[in-house]
Amino acid sequence: MRKLVFISALLLIVACQQESKMDPNINPFFQSWDTAYEVPPFMDIKDEHYMPAFKKGMEENLSDIDEIVNNSEAPTFSNTIEELERTGKLLGKVSRVFSNLASSNTNPQLQELQRELSPMLSAHYDKISLNEELFKRVEAIWQDKDAIELTSEQRKLLNDTRKQFVRSGALMNEKEKKQITEINSKISGLSTSFGQNLLAETNGFELILENSDLDGLSEGIIAAASEAASQKMEKAETKEEGEKYKDKFVFTPHRSSMYPFLTESTRRDLREQLYNSYVMRGDNNNETDNKEIAAQIAKLRAERAEIMGYKSHAHFVLDDNMLKTPEEVYDLLTKLWEPAVKRAKVEIADMQAVADAEGQVFEVAAWDWWHYSEKVRKEKYNLDESAIKPYLSLDNVLEGVFSTTNKLWGLSFTEIFDIDLYHPDARIWEVKDKDGSHLGIFIGDYFTRSNKRGGAWMSSFKGQSNLDGRERPIIVNVCNFPAPVGDKPALLSFDNVVTLFHEFGHAMHGTLTDVTYGSMAGTSGPRDFIELPSQLLEHWASEPEVLKSFATHYETGEAIPDDLIDKLLNASKFNQGFINTEYLAASLLDMDWHSISAEQAQQLDANKFESESLKKYGLLDEIAPRYRTTYFAHIFSGGYSSGYYSYVHAAVLDSDAFEAFKEAGDVFDAELSLKLRETIYSKGSTEDAMDLFVNFRGRKAIIEPLLKVRGLDGSK
Amino acid sequence: MRVHEIIIFCFLFCVSFNAFSHNPEDFVIAEIERGQMNFENEEIAAEYGAALKRQRARRLAAMPLYKKFYIFVKAGFEHIIPQGLDHILFVLGLFFSCITFRSLLWQVTAFTVAHSITLVLAAQGLVQLRGDIVEIIIALSIVWIAVENCLYKETSKWRYLVVFSFGLLHGLGFAALLTQYGLPKENFISLLLAFNIGVEFGQLAVLVIAFLLIKLVLRKNWYSNQIKIPASIIIALVGLFWFVERVFQF
Repeated sequence: MRKLVFISALLLIVACQQESKMDPNINPFFQSWDTAYEVPPFMDIKDEHYMPAFKKGMEENLSDIDEIVNNSEAPTFSNTIEELERTGKLLGKVSRVFSNLASSNTNPQLQELQRELSPMLSAHYDKISLNEELFKRVEAIWQDKDAIELTSEQRKLLNDTRKQFVRSGALMNEKEKKQITEINSKISGLSTSFGQNLLAETNGFELILENSDLDGLSEGIIAAASEAASQKMEKAETKEEGEKYKDKFVFTPHRSSMYPFLTESTRRDLREQLYNSYVMRGDNNNETDNKEIAAQIAKLRAERAEIMGYKSHAHFVLDDNMLKTPEEVYDLLTKLWEPAVKRAKVEIADMQAVADAEGQVFEVAAWDWWHYSEKVRKEKYNLDESAIKPYLSLDNVLEGVFSTTNKLWGLSFTEIFDIDLYHPDARIWEVKDKDGSHLGIFIGDYFTRSNKRGGAWMSSFKGQSNLDGRERPIIVNVCNFPAPVGDKPALLSFDNVVTLFHEFGHAMHGTLTDVTYGSMAGTSGPRDFIELPSQLLEHWASEPEVLKSFATHYETGEAIPDDLIDKLLNASKFNQGFINTEYLAASLLDMDWHSISAEQAQQLDANKFESESLKKYGLLDEIAPRYRTTYFAHIFSGGYSSGYYSYVHAAVLDSDAFEAFKEAGDVFDAELSLKLRETIYSKGSTEDAMDLFVNFRGRKAIIEPLLKVRGLDGSK
Repeated sequence: MRVHEIIIFCFLFCVSFNAFSHNPEDFVIAEIERGQMNFENEEIAAEYGAALKRQRARRLAAMPLYKKFYIFVKAGFEHIIPQGLDHILFVLGLFFSCITFRSLLWQVTAFTVAHSITLVLAAQGLVQLRGDIVEIIIALSIVWIAVENCLYKETSKWRYLVVFSFGLLHGLGFAALLTQYGLPKENFISLLLAFNIGVEFGQLAVLVIAFLLIKLVLRKNWYSNQIKIPASIIIALVGLFWFVERVFQF
């Protein structure tokens, strides 16, 4: 019997070995992460850990602030501004994980939390930015700024910190402050609902097709749609509900499902149905309608701007940007509008010619655009997107973007296989600098899935700072490329490739950053500047030299043929009329929504406002804005209000910056690459954005290189 | 009194094995467990499953062959201990039935040869049978062996054939699991071999442990009615329980 007990005890001891270093009984956010590279311990983080961590994080943040305020010593840069940089560590830790996962791997619990947290957080940050005692200390240092010795980075931080307080209303009276707090919390709640409604609306429509409805669709598209149907069938709650998907094909207003359908399907009626489901998202007069929410947000923003002493929300936002006034923005947009629309009209005529030649009797409409532009493309540009895809497997493209940054800056990427992330499709690499030192961590999460927000973005799980030792960042890129079907590798379209390079440009901005203060690191700069590092990298994706190095056929291993590259690049100028028009229309719509005064903003009907605005500029019937009001998440639930123009502004910058490499005669010119890293990618927001650009280029940007790149200069 | 001790022991034995957790290095295996996560939305679960497969393929592709080999040996082993409680019970059923070591050896060999055959055939996609049906018959095979232990004093001539046929069936069970792991095409044969080696080690471990326990702890000859009958009854009951459970899930 003694032996029995002994052996049993032994077995139990072996059984109780715990491999995880985390204590499962304590919230992971309250423990230090001794994981490799401090990657969040995703497997230990459960939904119920967020709220307690947020609450404690906010408490700690406030007590950190109290400590600064209650310091009996006179305010100095180091005991106030620098200390502020050190506050809110726990809150930052939980916020980063939560906001990332709430976008890329969400579930009903996280969505509910998001709804709850959003007003709590905005109230919390208001408590800090409206803290009078704290502002007094900042103001005292600022008043004294000429007498104290500061580095230029510190000077910028002091200015930015003060400006933030002022922009949050530090110079306002009590009543005004209270109004601002209320408005902020209302906007925050509305923004969250806007985003959630949009997700519901996008998931809410499905086009269920019979075998006989598949005219024109290619094999891969049909397979994906069939897979979508069988997944829906498995998911169905009742058998009858599942039956409706049996042997059917499903398309949805998700762009990765819709665009291929609109391009290939010869069934005009179905194209119209699917297209309308897309453009009517949030405009269906149901419980997930976004019209009223958008109008409310615009109204609240205008009211807030008025209280702050600005003419409109746009004036308020732009005050902090590279372009400083709405007038400058409208000037830029309208300058581009004419050439874009002119080009679009030519494109419509081209498509109509194809339709007429087919013997069609209709006039080409918005839902015909993809189908007929593809035909024009084939006819005039003789390019078959599906002929290119086999050269663009995701792994090849990653190889290409890695080697591009290797040639530019000597970076190297090593994939790590023994770290578990939040989803098995997310991959992780260590980024090393030229000298082999650790530079950061890169996470790439590329395939679309139903619990991921649409679009593509860059974010971070950890920031960069040199304040208390060398902290290197953990950067993530999230995209929505179609997942591979079966055993085939994931094949990207060239658009996907450009998107990948774009997000990777952001990732580089977040990775190469080397600043003292975390709040000024990486992509912290003004909206109309931070798209420069991302869009600039896109130019390398379409350089024949670069393209050839990575685009090899996934089956034969043969490099992409020259004539295919020529056709591809030729085709990249195609449809630019449409692309620029839909984009500029959305940008103008954004500016219009946010240039109104508080008085003009009362009782607005979103649809009426939108159609009047677009009519004013003369938008063509055949083109909808890139985003209509009711699904314009960038400006109503993201941070791009009065800032959507920034993509084209950055495009002016990036075309001009890339022109520098062209002038040098080598797209990997060593001196220029180094200069680019030193003046732009590593700087974060430690200098004024306009200065950063001028430091690189030697002058302000000009618009001509962009018009040339996009074929809007009338040469085509 | 003895029976009482055995029951307590068996309980502790099983509990402790169930409590085993995987070495975190061993992601290829750990993922399979994580794959069982309960999602509310089955579409998400399906996407997750496909993503897991891709991740597994990536991770396997990045490993040197020796490591892959090791992982598949380990996977095979773990499919017996601790995951394959039904296979453990079946092997124990054989164990308690045998008068001589030689008879045990032959039965286990027949079982091994049989499940190796179906494992290879099924892994290559030559044989297929629905997993849930296989599981039900596996439960039944355990009951069969255990009941036979209680009814007959000596092993019948047919016994080897019966064990062989059940072996074929268990092989299909292993194969189902192996498909989940995803055998890389380039190392198909060597990794299949690795998996099978692991399974054999697992079986051997069960027999050795059982032998040592009875020999050293209870100081009995392994073939003893005092142990054989109660142990077989327990095995039969557990097998019956699984049978009923799996039939209802069917």
